[in-house]
Amino acid sequence: MAVAALQLRLILCPGARGLRSFSSAVRPAAGPRSWQQCGEPTAAGEGCKTSLEAVAIPSEVMVTLQKALPPRTEKMDVDQDWPSVYPVAAPFKPSAVPLPVRMGYPVKKGVPLAKEGNLELLKIPNFLHLTPVAIRRHCAALKDFCTEWPAALDSDEKCEKHFPIEIDTADYVSSGPSVRNPKSRVVTLRVKLSSLNLDNHAKKKLIKLVGERYCKNTEVLTITTDRCPLKRQNYDYALYLLTVLYHESWKTEEWEKNKTEEDMEEYVWENSSSENNALRTLLQMRAAESGVAPSRDELLGTREVEDYRKSVVQLKNEGENEANLTQYKESVKRLLNLA
Amino acid sequence: MAASASVRGLGWRVLACSWELPCTWRALHTSAVCAKNRAARVRVAKGDKPVSYEEAHAPHHIAHRKGWLSLHTGNLDGEDHAAERTVEDVFLRKFMLGTFPGCLADQIVLKRRANQVDICALVLRQLPAHKFYFLVGYSETLLSHFYKCPVRLHLQTVPSKVVYKYI
Repeated sequence: MAVAALQLRLILCPGARGLRSFSSAVRPAAGPRSWQQCGEPTAAGEGCKTSLEAVAIPSEVMVTLQKALPPRTEKMDVDQDWPSVYPVAAPFKPSAVPLPVRMGYPVKKGVPLAKEGNLELLKIPNFLHLTPVAIRRHCAALKDFCTEWPAALDSDEKCEKHFPIEIDTADYVSSGPSVRNPKSRVVTLRVKLSSLNLDNHAKKKLIKLVGERYCKNTEVLTITTDRCPLKRQNYDYALYLLTVLYHESWKTEEWEKNKTEEDMEEYVWENSSSENNALRTLLQMRAAESGVAPSRDELLGTREVEDYRKSVVQLKNEGENEANLTQYKESVKRLLNLA
Repeated sequence: MAASASVRGLGWRVLACSWELPCTWRALHTSAVCAKNRAARVRVAKGDKPVSYEEAHAPHHIAHRKGWLSLHTGNLDGEDHAAERTVEDVFLRKFMLGTFPGCLADQIVLKRRANQVDICALVLRQLPAHKFYFLVGYSETLLSHFYKCPVRLHLQTVPSKVVYKYI
């Protein structure tokens, strides 16, 4: 009798091997159990039903009695509440998803595998818990914990005026028991120099002190700190750096008097070689013409010299382009009375 | 080829040195090295061996026809702790193999979401339901205490191993 049961089991489950199949063929003699098809007997025990019937049945018939309950999909309405089927992120349950999904590379002249027992469907992350209905409910529940955006801050300029300093930090989430990530200690502080109270000298000194951290096009100073192990330490350090830079740029040291022409950020015409050359030429010209040498201040006050000064400053600071060059040409011609 | 030639040569020299008995020298037969890939492949049989989808596809089909059995952020660019997750995976697979003897229909799928581990397993209906419930509770409790993280087990029962093709 046991031998017959074993043979029957081997026919039904060709993958089953020797001792294990024998022991499981013997076990059903204790009483059949009915199975929920593809059910998940999780410890939470949600939605699983098993019924026990202790009936004495000969063991040859025993193996056919492990029947499963029909899947839950057959009892689902079309307009059911889906977020209660998948309230949280959960693996794919073919008995709970009423879609005829198929996945897998088909054999020749075949179709992809069905959803029951499909490992590929288990592997991929599914978003069955994130239907629009579910998300709408989440947002409605979260709304109670949100505060309104302040009505006074309705434009970018106002935000910048009241909150000139912007701090960028990043937090990292990864799978594993540890929340620590060394990349999260980086703090970036951005501020527009126009919102700081700096005079001409202080602004130039600050720009020289920070070097690469200042962007000329956007006038934004960016300070990135990551030398401390904690984010709040780096944030304090960044604010400290900003304070120190501000105060240092307002001070004038002794050695700043030795600033030469090469250190200048922009071209300054006063006391430059161009000014000297122009004035010397003009003085010589006037002296040759009329024999009376006008003073330098008088020459500086004339309109031609002003135009010349403006065009030279523009050329040197902004670079050479069509407009600047023509303006320079005109001013030189007028200066030397060639026009 | 070179090995056999040198051994043959040695054999001849030996023969030349001590001629005692005719034709009792033993030669070593070697052939060219055949370095076939054997990783995670089920070798073809006569057409009667049933294989599942997972077994039927070789590792070079991963990301083309197969997904990954274990999903975690450790293997992404610039992320840490890949080795720790891999060691945990190895232990979890061995643990599941031993806790559900003869019941696993296919490989375990491990998913990690923040610190939670989801173990998804396909099981055959070898055991009665109350035994399965006990094993699930036992595994979840033991592994959660062991790894200090929530570990959840999701079982899916199938009547028999799902056959993809016969090779």
